[in-house]
Amino acid sequence: MIEILLILFAPIIGGFIYGFERVVRARMQNRQGPPLLQPFYDMFKLIDKQAFIVNPYHTILGIMHFITLWVVVAFIIMGQNLLYVIFLHLLSSIFLILAGFSVKSIYSHIGSNRELLAALAYEPILIMIAVGFFMVNGSFDIAVIREHDASIASLFLLFLAYLMVMPIKLKKSPFDATEAHQEIVGGVEIEFSGIFFEFLYMAKWLEYIFVYLLLMLFAGDNIFLGIGLFIGVFLLLNLIDNATARIKMKHLIKIVLSLGLTLGMCNLIGLAYV
Amino acid sequence: MTTYTLLIAAPLFFALVVMVSGVVIRNIFAIAFVIGLSFLSISNIFVFHAPTETILPHFFHNLFILLDGMVLLFFLWQGVKTKNSLVKIFALFQIVLYVVVLLLSPTLISNDVLIDEISSVMYLIINIVGGIIIVYALKYIESEEFSRAKKNGFIAMLFFFLSVMNFIVSTNNIEIFFLLFELTTLCSYILIGYRGDEMSVLNAQKALWMNQIGGVAILVALIFSILQYKTVYFDVLIANIDAFYLLPIVFLAIAAFVKGASIPFDKWLLGAMIAPTPVSAILHSATMVKIAPYLMLKLAPAMSGFVSLTITLLGTFVFFAASLLALGKDYFKEILGYSTIALLGLMMALAAIGTPEAIVACLTLIVFHAISKALLFLQAGILEKSFHLKYVNDIDGLINNSPLVVFFIIVGFASLTIPPFGAFIAKFMAIETIASEIIKNPLYVFALIFLALGSAFLTLLYFKVVTKLFVKDVETKTVDIKISKFYTIPSYLLLILLVVGIYISFELELLSSLEIIVPLFLVAIVPLLFALILFKKADRVKEYNCGEKDDIQLNMYYFHMPSVIKKDIAIIAVVGMCILILGVLL
Repeated sequence: MIEILLILFAPIIGGFIYGFERVVRARMQNRQGPPLLQPFYDMFKLIDKQAFIVNPYHTILGIMHFITLWVVVAFIIMGQNLLYVIFLHLLSSIFLILAGFSVKSIYSHIGSNRELLAALAYEPILIMIAVGFFMVNGSFDIAVIREHDASIASLFLLFLAYLMVMPIKLKKSPFDATEAHQEIVGGVEIEFSGIFFEFLYMAKWLEYIFVYLLLMLFAGDNIFLGIGLFIGVFLLLNLIDNATARIKMKHLIKIVLSLGLTLGMCNLIGLAYV
Repeated sequence: MTTYTLLIAAPLFFALVVMVSGVVIRNIFAIAFVIGLSFLSISNIFVFHAPTETILPHFFHNLFILLDGMVLLFFLWQGVKTKNSLVKIFALFQIVLYVVVLLLSPTLISNDVLIDEISSVMYLIINIVGGIIIVYALKYIESEEFSRAKKNGFIAMLFFFLSVMNFIVSTNNIEIFFLLFELTTLCSYILIGYRGDEMSVLNAQKALWMNQIGGVAILVALIFSILQYKTVYFDVLIANIDAFYLLPIVFLAIAAFVKGASIPFDKWLLGAMIAPTPVSAILHSATMVKIAPYLMLKLAPAMSGFVSLTITLLGTFVFFAASLLALGKDYFKEILGYSTIALLGLMMALAAIGTPEAIVACLTLIVFHAISKALLFLQAGILEKSFHLKYVNDIDGLINNSPLVVFFIIVGFASLTIPPFGAFIAKFMAIETIASEIIKNPLYVFALIFLALGSAFLTLLYFKVVTKLFVKDVETKTVDIKISKFYTIPSYLLLILLVVGIYISFELELLSSLEIIVPLFLVAIVPLLFALILFKKADRVKEYNCGEKDDIQLNMYYFHMPSVIKKDIAIIAVVGMCILILGVLL
């Protein structure tokens, strides 16, 4: 029952996290910041706007991105196969990337391109994390992983690698070249407007849920550790976001892939020997 | 008469029939033959109970020896005629080795023909996918500037190829396997050089001498096998295998690497692009290269831990390296070619692991790769013939002219990357298999890294193409260009095969039902619903370009691949193979 509720309200919970994050970030910068419910105010405003589309493929793909992401979150909550979840998440990114490529807009294409390159950087690491969980728990099933003890100690290097992946997915400095705020005029999002943009906006909230749910897997059956991890990493990411500057896409791939793969490799080889 | 004899003999007969008839009759016959072969291969699955075993009479063995001699002499003659020293040297080398093999007398006798589940699966792809490609070729070849006899000969050649392939997956005798291996080399040599221009002839020669290396490797394996194990039969060899004397296995594996166009033998398959598109399609999907994973599957039970690990690492490395190299390419068929090389590497790696899950993953990948690649190559042919396009970067807004072709290309690429399609399932199972191997031997971590990186590169590669196809702006009106039914119907058939494949993987429970149904909804049904219901009323708007009024030209992204990388990759692959041989020798 609670699982169904969680799945249904996942975007809204994500919205709260997103709103809260904006407050936290503002406080770190000594600003007042927007109210907690700001994402939802935005939502109502967007729904009210007149709907414009560039072409139907573009819009459908954007909506599919949101729906697939929701399914991904549902699969995690239901305790499905972790490796499968990672690939399904890739499918959701693919929808977004295709949407970006389907319009004749330079900004949209740059955005999609960066989105794709980012996927190249984090996808192998996510797969290694899944394999790490498999080696520790003997199964790819999230339900099984949740029943076991916390694996953060034995997967510590992979945990560090995951810390590098998180800012990419959440579009946080220094790894936020995919979105890059004003620089590429919103990237993939540029051609979405009104209610259709709302879907992308909500997809962003779901991305928060996805990323933090994966993070909490490192805590296994230890709920307190899970919540502790969530809060700690949440604050850490925002601190880093405020403290660092954006790096180029090229460097992002180099750093994340080389460092992440090395960490993952050491961890997996270590696990095999222990 | 058993199914396999029909599958081998019938295409030979068909080849003769299509050779002599006029266009209409030839087309009708060819389509009927293809339907017949497909039914035969399907019925084989259902009728099949115990492994079929046959010992061929002595007459056939002599016939095969005669054929072998003729083929090798033909290669030598071609080498002399074209003054290609590599072709000459390898042909001579093979003749010498073959004489040695004939002089040695193996004592342990077994069945010449042995059909197991793997052969049955191979029949399916050879006859159904290969057959569909032949139907497509009927129209394609008409648009080439050949004489009537040469056009018919082309179709006949394709049927002959199917016959050889059906035989090669049925045989248990390594000597017969060698003959058929050489015959596929011969087929590819003739088909690649079919256009007869300078480039075609050069590339055909390249295919010839490279594939002859495979022939040499088989002969060496045969000699070692006869000397040590006194047999020329796969099953006897594998049953009696001694873990300290694996030379025959390793040389057969190298032959597989050659046929599978694994790096550093990749040049011949890429050169094959020059041939008429049905040739590339049939080489890449249903025939020729599929011998490689098939042979590996056959050898897997005899591999020691070291051999299996080295081949897995080599295979996954090729998967990674070929995907990387493909990123710098622009020619549509070349992109497809590199992705074939990559996926073949993965298939061989999976076959070498040899656990039941790995074998299922490998077979799934063989089957679905065949379907997807055939679909993509058929589209490449349509692009060339109907739109005169070869380079991806020239394809601009194809979706405005032919949404159907774009749809097929996207389905083709999607079926190689995303759930619920079979190739995805295979890749998924590959990671699971390798993950459980890491627990036993940490060196498999490298296979995992290659696999993870390679699949990311491949995704990147496929999107590189999709970028160009998909762009649709507000103003351009859709103008449909007519495409011949002979082109579209085979594509539809392959699409149906893909869907049937999803159903079969559902039935076989390769993934849980939820894991198959949900993505099926996501990629097919929901978007369709949206397309039907929504957007009729939504207002259209032009793209936002920050006020710039200039017309923009969108180009595909490129990745610069320095030639050093290419060289390094080839060196690593060669070193890997040397390690394989040396490791077994010591």
